[in-house]
Amino acid sequence: MREFVYDVFTRKERGDRLQHVGYVDAFDDETAKVYAWTTYSEEKWFEMCVVKRVNVLPVNRTDGLFVEAQESSHD
Amino acid sequence: MTDALDVSTLNDDQRDALVRLMVTLADSKRLMGIRYSDWTLGAPSIETGVSMASMTQDEWGHARLLYAMLKTLDIDPAPFEYERSGDRFASLSALDNEPSDWAAVVALMVLADGALSTMLRSFAQGTLEQARRRVPKMLAEEQYHMSMGFAWYRRLADSGGESRRLLAVATEDMLPGLVAWVGADDAAARNMVAIGVLDSAEDRLALYRDEVREVVALVGVDIDTVLGTSVWDEVRGRAVGRPDEEACERARGDRNRALLVE
Repeated sequence: MREFVYDVFTRKERGDRLQHVGYVDAFDDETAKVYAWTTYSEEKWFEMCVVKRVNVLPVNRTDGLFVEAQESSHD
Repeated sequence: MTDALDVSTLNDDQRDALVRLMVTLADSKRLMGIRYSDWTLGAPSIETGVSMASMTQDEWGHARLLYAMLKTLDIDPAPFEYERSGDRFASLSALDNEPSDWAAVVALMVLADGALSTMLRSFAQGTLEQARRRVPKMLAEEQYHMSMGFAWYRRLADSGGESRRLLAVATEDMLPGLVAWVGADDAAARNMVAIGVLDSAEDRLALYRDEVREVVALVGVDIDTVLGTSVWDEVRGRAVGRPDEEACERARGDRNRALLVE
């Protein structure tokens, strides 16, 4: 079963900065949203969103998680 | 919105019918929580297991709120929660036995949890004030259950082979009891419609069919041709049968209460 990494971002209050709180592995966008909501449930979030890591485009780095995600998407 | 129901005006039949509705919803939620909890460690991934744990908490919370609604009728919920034998449980027949595989759990998520949500949606829009206030939050939490259920259902159905076959078997096995339950049209169910607590059986069933039509078609099931089971228990408002004894012990919390120290 092919899974993808989704990074999870949240803000606790309206006006707070969106912060990266972790990631989940999921096979599609719908399950990623459910997994994120149930896994990172320690706070009553004002907002939560997920981003498929492969969609994050590295700007200045040639190594690291986001570059690895780009490379693995071509497998 | 329709005026709220004054429960002091209910006759005995209407009151018994309302108790039956609250108990079948509450029992089903509690059993659903048990079935989900059994898969927190056996789910296909850690994330799925965490979601199962979260959904278990949701279901048990919903059950507690639904049992507590009995107080509206000046009924103590404790005997219903802790003292009934398994043959008096009014939970959905689909929950009677432990799901034997992940495909059956997914079918439960979509079909049984979906049936409960269909009934709760109707309940929330009806005349009982407590349902109007308490049920919408349950339904909001249920959205995540349905998202997960539908995503997994599609995945297993698309995968072909054994997973798809097991999903089809579980679907065909569960649907007759669920269709009978959602579309119940016996005297007690008609009482609920008459006092505005629920929509008509026809409307509820149409909503349920709309909800699941597309996904069950993926395993070759035409929801519009599925008939409700004819072996119906009017007292409990469910298909004939009962949950397995171990599940009943857990639902009542027998062991937990044996460990309580006053």
